[in-house]
Amino acid sequence: MALTLEMETVTKTFDEFVAVDRLSFSIREGEIFGLLGPNGAGKTSSIRMMIGITAPDSGSIRLFGHPLSREGVDRVGYLPEERGLYKKMKIMENLVFLARLKGIATAEAKRRANQWLERLDLGGWANARLEELSKGMQQKVQFIAAVLHQPDFMILDEPFSGLDPASSLALKDALLDLKRQGKTILFSTHRMDTVERLCDSICLINHGRSVLLGALREIKAGYGRSSVQLEYEGELPLLHDPALVASFNDFGNYVELRIAPGAEPQRLLETAMRTARICRFEIVEPSLEEIFIDTVENTRMVSSRA
Amino acid sequence: MRKILLVIQREYIVRVRTKAFIIFTVLMPLLMGAAVIVPGKLMMQSAGTRHVTIVCADAAVAATMKSELEGSRASDDKEAPAAAEEQHGEKRGTKQDFAVTVESTPSEELRRNLTSMVRNNALDGFAWIEPDAIRTRKATYYSRNSSDFIESSLVSRALRLALSERELAGHGFSAAQAKTLLGPIAVNNVHISNEGATQSNGSGAFVLPFLLLMAIYMTVLIYGLYVMRSVIEEKSSRVIEVLLGSLTPMQLMAGKIIGVGAVGLTQIGIWALAGIAMGTGGFAMAGRMMGDSMKDAHISTTVLALFPVFFLLGYATYSCMYAAVGAMVNSEEEAQQLQFPVTLPLIACIVVATAVIRDPNTPLAFWLSMFPLTSPIIMFVRVSENMPPLWQLALSIALSLATLYALVWLSSRIYRVGILMYGKRPTLPEIVKWIRYS
Repeated sequence: MALTLEMETVTKTFDEFVAVDRLSFSIREGEIFGLLGPNGAGKTSSIRMMIGITAPDSGSIRLFGHPLSREGVDRVGYLPEERGLYKKMKIMENLVFLARLKGIATAEAKRRANQWLERLDLGGWANARLEELSKGMQQKVQFIAAVLHQPDFMILDEPFSGLDPASSLALKDALLDLKRQGKTILFSTHRMDTVERLCDSICLINHGRSVLLGALREIKAGYGRSSVQLEYEGELPLLHDPALVASFNDFGNYVELRIAPGAEPQRLLETAMRTARICRFEIVEPSLEEIFIDTVENTRMVSSRA
Repeated sequence: MRKILLVIQREYIVRVRTKAFIIFTVLMPLLMGAAVIVPGKLMMQSAGTRHVTIVCADAAVAATMKSELEGSRASDDKEAPAAAEEQHGEKRGTKQDFAVTVESTPSEELRRNLTSMVRNNALDGFAWIEPDAIRTRKATYYSRNSSDFIESSLVSRALRLALSERELAGHGFSAAQAKTLLGPIAVNNVHISNEGATQSNGSGAFVLPFLLLMAIYMTVLIYGLYVMRSVIEEKSSRVIEVLLGSLTPMQLMAGKIIGVGAVGLTQIGIWALAGIAMGTGGFAMAGRMMGDSMKDAHISTTVLALFPVFFLLGYATYSCMYAAVGAMVNSEEEAQQLQFPVTLPLIACIVVATAVIRDPNTPLAFWLSMFPLTSPIIMFVRVSENMPPLWQLALSIALSLATLYALVWLSSRIYRVGILMYGKRPTLPEIVKWIRYS
């Protein structure tokens, strides 16, 4: 299958600070790819290099099978995390200007913009100035600006942040539509629930380095069924017993935990029943959030030891 | 190239349709006219009739003074008297109405009375002329408002004329002869330039280059700052990140500078057209409003043609620097201090401009018209005053273009890095590092 993006040992340094450190991954055509990592991990720096805003110090980037070029970048749609359009310009003017920069004719840009505005519930706003819109509405306009030229590859940095549930749903549907049309999508986010439901593959980066990479299904399978989801009423002192529990994420009456290596899930349930009323006990694959926290913490320990 | 055109188009349309552009286009000529005309009008304006008493034992002297002072009203019709005033070294166009009473018996009591009248506002002033004034050439003028030099100089002139006439009469000259002798002599100013000799008068030749100077200074400064603001706007609204996904920083900066410059040219074009429509170069109207001081003022076609050339040179030079400043900062407030060193040479131009207009051939004028940061303005002032030798004009433009080339290179490097930097304002070593990034 054709590769939309190939990053190979890409490194970017700002003065002493290594923002991206020998990062390698590739994105297959038509997949939804999640670029994950805590704040400051080097996500934005990586994305900027993918679309040629900055150049890597070393390593190579290939887009649509060719070395990075303007022609290639024109087929990319970019939704930056820091949203920005011209505040004093009308919505339609903003959209048409950006589409024309990507080579779309004015009339065609207008036609498509109207369709998108309708679809995202912004029908009557085409002639309003951007600054008159609420933050969530501006967000949607920004998304339209990123997809108006029908890019084959979309880079979306935190696309759902600041959207209400209804808008999020509309956006998600739109994305799945685009995926069905064979478009490639890269998500950059730290919202794991979205990634879990949408992404085919992920790359988790921390301190500019790739710490976890691959198809989401395989990654989760690799962790095995070593996780337990538990709904309870009462106290669970066993959570602090390292012989039973390796790590946990407690929500008060719901807890996700990783069973310590060698420990028996059966014994865990017995112990739990002694101190609390158990409503649900399920052995599952770990959630991405668990994997994320686990991996980030591990690499933190590794890097602090080093 | 297509992308640069799109940026140009956007910058142009967004700016031209703003109220600010329309207001500035209309207001600028009015403001400039007002800047020249209002002070002049204020100077010329009569501050009401002055009630003055002349105390002089010699009735003939007092009578001549009285008629001279009250007669200065006649200088309203712009014939010989206007020139006479100039001839006598008076401030041009100054006029003052007087109502004069004569006292022929000086006494201490009279002096006290008059003093208290002046103090009580019953009288504006009185001239005390001793009988031996012809010999001593001294007199005293008492007034509340001793700083009104126009009033006292008019009194002084009247006294000088009166005494001289009296003296000439004593030497056997008739009153008519004395009048002729003491009358004004009109000196015609003929301005010799490389384009030939033209009739002119002093203040017109000063006012016109000054107006052109202000026009080029204002447009260079304002459009330069527009570029800076536009850069800051794109940076602070973060639209820059989206744009850079579609075009290179160089395309963006080039489009921006050309687009804003085109707005500037449009504005200048409108002013020029309006000027032509209003009469001979628009300044004729200002001339009419000011009386005849600008009667002979006109702009040659060479000067008119060079205006856009020097505007573009000055604008390109400064907008490059302002674009770099805009890229370095996060907000307009931050830009305030950083833009000052860039604006400094422009302000310097205005400071020395008066001296350059008065004498465009000093070494100072020469060097400033060569130095690339001041040359677009100072050279233009020289051109509008008196065409400098062609080699100087060519050298100045060549130096300016060479500097521009270097500035574009330097600014674009600062711009390219700066537009993506947020947070702390960069230090000078950091900026040097930016320039070195390949």
